[in-house]
Amino acid sequence: MATEAAPMDEKAKRMRDLLSSFYAPDPSISTSGSSINASFDNINSTSFDADQYMDLMIKKSNLEVLLQRHVQMAAEIKNLDTDLQMLVYENYNKFISATDTIKRMKSNIFGMEGNMDQLLQKIMSVQSRSDGVNTSLFEKREHIEKLHRTRNLLRKVQFIYDLPARLQKCIKSETYGDAVRFYIGAMPILKVYGDTSFQDCRRASEEAIEIIIKNLQTKLFSDSESIQARAEAAVLLKQLDVPVDSLKDKLLEKLEQSLDGLQIKAKEASLLAEHNDSSNDAESSDQLPAKIHEDAVRGFSEAMRAYREIFPDSEERLFKLARALAAMHFENMELYIRKRVSAADFLRIFRIIWEDVVLMDEVLPEAELSDLSAEAAQVTVKQFVAKTFSHLQQDISDTILKFDINQKEAVEEEVLKVVLEASKKAGLQGITDIFQDFRQLLDENTGIFVKMKDLIIGWIQNGFQDFFRSLEAQFLVLSGKTSSSNDTEGGLVEGKSSEKIHAGLILVLAQLSVFIEQKVIPRVTEEIAASFSGGNSQAFENGPAFIPGELCRVFHAASEKLLQHYIDTRTQKISVLLRKRFKTPNWVKHKEPREVHMFVDMFLHELEEIGKEVKQVLPQGTFRKHKRTDSNGSNTTTSSRSNTLHNDKMTRSNSQRARSQLFETHLAKLFKQKVEIFTKVEFTQESVVTTTVKLCLKSLQEYVRLQTFNRSGFQQIQLDIQFLKAPLKETVEDEAAIDFLLDEVIVAASERCLDVIPLEPPILDKLIQAKLAKSKEHNNNNTVSS
Amino acid sequence: MQGGSSGIGYGLKYQARCISDVKADTDYTSFLTGTLSLKEENEVHLLRLSSGGSELICEGLFSHPNEIWDLASCPFDQRIFSTVFSTGESFGAAIWQIPELYGQLSSPQLERVASLDAHVGKINCVLWWPSGRCDKLISMAEQNIFLWNLDCSKKSAEVLSKDSAGMLHSLSGGAWNPHDVNAVAASGESSVQFWDLRTMKKVNSIEHAHVRGLDYNPKREHILITAEDESGIHVWDLRKAKVPVQELPGHTHWTWAVKCNPEYDGLILSAGTDSAVNLWYASASSSDDKLSESPVESIRQRVNPLLNSYTDYEDSVYGLAWSSREPWVFASLSYDGRVVIESVKPFLPRI
Repeated sequence: MATEAAPMDEKAKRMRDLLSSFYAPDPSISTSGSSINASFDNINSTSFDADQYMDLMIKKSNLEVLLQRHVQMAAEIKNLDTDLQMLVYENYNKFISATDTIKRMKSNIFGMEGNMDQLLQKIMSVQSRSDGVNTSLFEKREHIEKLHRTRNLLRKVQFIYDLPARLQKCIKSETYGDAVRFYIGAMPILKVYGDTSFQDCRRASEEAIEIIIKNLQTKLFSDSESIQARAEAAVLLKQLDVPVDSLKDKLLEKLEQSLDGLQIKAKEASLLAEHNDSSNDAESSDQLPAKIHEDAVRGFSEAMRAYREIFPDSEERLFKLARALAAMHFENMELYIRKRVSAADFLRIFRIIWEDVVLMDEVLPEAELSDLSAEAAQVTVKQFVAKTFSHLQQDISDTILKFDINQKEAVEEEVLKVVLEASKKAGLQGITDIFQDFRQLLDENTGIFVKMKDLIIGWIQNGFQDFFRSLEAQFLVLSGKTSSSNDTEGGLVEGKSSEKIHAGLILVLAQLSVFIEQKVIPRVTEEIAASFSGGNSQAFENGPAFIPGELCRVFHAASEKLLQHYIDTRTQKISVLLRKRFKTPNWVKHKEPREVHMFVDMFLHELEEIGKEVKQVLPQGTFRKHKRTDSNGSNTTTSSRSNTLHNDKMTRSNSQRARSQLFETHLAKLFKQKVEIFTKVEFTQESVVTTTVKLCLKSLQEYVRLQTFNRSGFQQIQLDIQFLKAPLKETVEDEAAIDFLLDEVIVAASERCLDVIPLEPPILDKLIQAKLAKSKEHNNNNTVSS
Repeated sequence: MQGGSSGIGYGLKYQARCISDVKADTDYTSFLTGTLSLKEENEVHLLRLSSGGSELICEGLFSHPNEIWDLASCPFDQRIFSTVFSTGESFGAAIWQIPELYGQLSSPQLERVASLDAHVGKINCVLWWPSGRCDKLISMAEQNIFLWNLDCSKKSAEVLSKDSAGMLHSLSGGAWNPHDVNAVAASGESSVQFWDLRTMKKVNSIEHAHVRGLDYNPKREHILITAEDESGIHVWDLRKAKVPVQELPGHTHWTWAVKCNPEYDGLILSAGTDSAVNLWYASASSSDDKLSESPVESIRQRVNPLLNSYTDYEDSVYGLAWSSREPWVFASLSYDGRVVIESVKPFLPRI
């Protein structure tokens, strides 16, 4: 307030203060602003104490100031006086004028009553007159209104009579909307009077409406019409109370039927893929099938969109349709990949399907199509991966078996080698192809594939793991060495008895296992590390993914098992031979040996066959020389010593008792290092042959131990063994062991002999030479005859 | 897995093939073994494991007229046993009784209780009634099988029934089913055959070639184990005898003999011509619930069934016997006449 007051002139301000103090009972409110600064020395303050002020003044000020103050005060008081006088005067003036006004008003009020009465009278008369006019005009107005109503009625009748014509006109101009509006407008009347007055009219218009409905339906069904028009038609039909639901059903059925047309049948799929394929290098016109399909799907989706707009309540049905389409697609896809499909083709088809799905999804986002088909796609891709692997496995086993059949026809050729090389190639090529395929899968940019990338990697790794595992199992099955673990395939396994399986095949399988262990698995590991690693935490959760170490172990074990199995089957065959040899004659009543027994030939023949097979499949032992001098060096010396010992013993034993002979054998054994007969088999030609020979000689020894011989029987054995010595040493790596075993056979025979008298060396020599000559002749004959 | 020198050895003078546990001896762990020498005087040794289990003592040494191809101790009388012997030209089988030992008489004569001399061909083995006191015996030759009734007091044996195996099947060994005393299994050239003793007729067979040895699992009905020349050891369930339940790799060369432990189920011992004795554990669970084969179980199956390989032998091992008194002890006999007693106690916790 103080700031506001500043521009005011002093006088006016004071005036106002005064006025307010006069009118307001509590001046502190109005003067609150100025009284803020006020203290008890402020003269304007209510709490002003004159005496105190006086005291203060006197105490504080000197005379001059007091005098000044006095003058100032006197002047102020005077001012105030005049102000007050003016105030009283001004107000007084106003008061007087107010009383004057009141006086005038009092005089004016008289006479107003009379005027009022007059006014009332006049109004009354006006009213009575207007009533008069009203009554006089009433009849006429009534009449007019009646006429008006009649006219309306007539107009309506006219409308109804015109309705057919109007409808016809509408049909002609195809403004069905108006027609329907008219017809619906006329409907109540027609309903009430249709049977009486407007019979013809009604019939005509109904006919017209019939036509309209028909037209509308055709419009609805015709695909050439725009969606808008068809939607309108549907709405109109609904207004006409035509059962739309049946129409809808019909339409949707049609849609469903068209779904069939969209099927990518397996045959078409391949066609599609092929065409796409050729389009890459040929004209683009070949792209037709894909294009056609795309258009069809586009049309389908458009129809979907339309129907959705037309029949908003049929969404569920449409969802179902869309889902059916997706499901059908993926089903067909599954059928398709049941055959052998390259990844490129697979992707092409997949892309088409995915496009369809995306289209559908755009139309019907609520159908959750993408989720649904993502699942289906996962399944399909997974299946594809699995299928690819099974195809590869099939390929490899086919390669192996295909040649096996040929083998019987051409034994002499190096079939085993061919089989091995072919299977190796098939394996490597298959792996390469598979990687190419999978890389394509990973490179694919379709949305779903990007999402599934980790999963796919997991599947691929898992796939490899499973593939190798089942390949190993299949190898074992193929080899006829079916472990008890796969009893489930009992029927299948029983069909292939182990005798039917060619031993060479087992050898090939063994070598193939080595190849897989050493070449294929590292290769796969590399590839996986290079392009399929990482991001498969999920796969790891589910189970172990690709573990090369484990697979290597598995195949290593398998290769050893198979090699062992090969040796087993081979020795089994020889074992049968030996068994027959020892079962048939009565050894106690054996006749004097005339010649080397023919079982030796058979034995050597078998060995030769083994040698042939082994040569085709297995690598040569690289350290052959080195090995012999190094590890067997000591053995050769000892065994040669034992040999001499043994020979000595043989010559002496003519005259000596068998008892000392036994003693000597033991003694000889003491000197000899325990010859490791059963060493680990290696993947070399020599090792396999040696092992086989060793096993066979051991069997021979065991068979000998089960018999009792007379002198001639023993001599026969001696002769046979002596004959075997030379050819066996030729074929075999570990001569010491063979020597030892051959000696063992003779020792065993002498132990089981009632009357040990060995053949004289000259006779032995003679018989052996005769045999050699005979076999040579035989060979010559053979070569000549062939 | 070297067998080491944990075994207790005992040397026979001559070569030998057969060793048998003396089942009827309940006081000591003892074995009977006989030599196989064509030209020398053959001996039967009664061996006893000292109470501390550290020594093998020869309790009796008896001369036997011919080389012994098979020997079996009577399950109810420790002094009675059977042998199959050969003179070199012909085979025979007899029941013997160990004479009462008065002092340390060396090489006393064995009492011949009875001769099982109805056979013509090569006799392979004599089987005693599997358990309990029963005087029935079976002898097997290559072509036929005889059921005998033995009368110890009268010192005679009579043929109760017999059957021919047929010319094609030359039998090589057999086992009496401990679960069904009417069933006997015999290994032949190309199959394992089963006889029902009540009718003395062949009832069943497993087509499986070259079986050397076979044994019933005494702890588990229907389980038979066979040892073959080349293909190792097979475990069969006789109820579904088409395919073996389990396959063990066996030996590097032939697997000659196979014996189930009388007490610990699944513990199998095999002897081979590769101069080794192998101790196996064929987990029985895998044979029974094969259908519920979980991954865990298949891993367990892959665990090496070979518990130990005793390789401390110089020659092929043909003789093998578990002790029925101390079922963790077994005796093995290699061809060079060395008896080795081993304990499998260290491996029992792994079962």
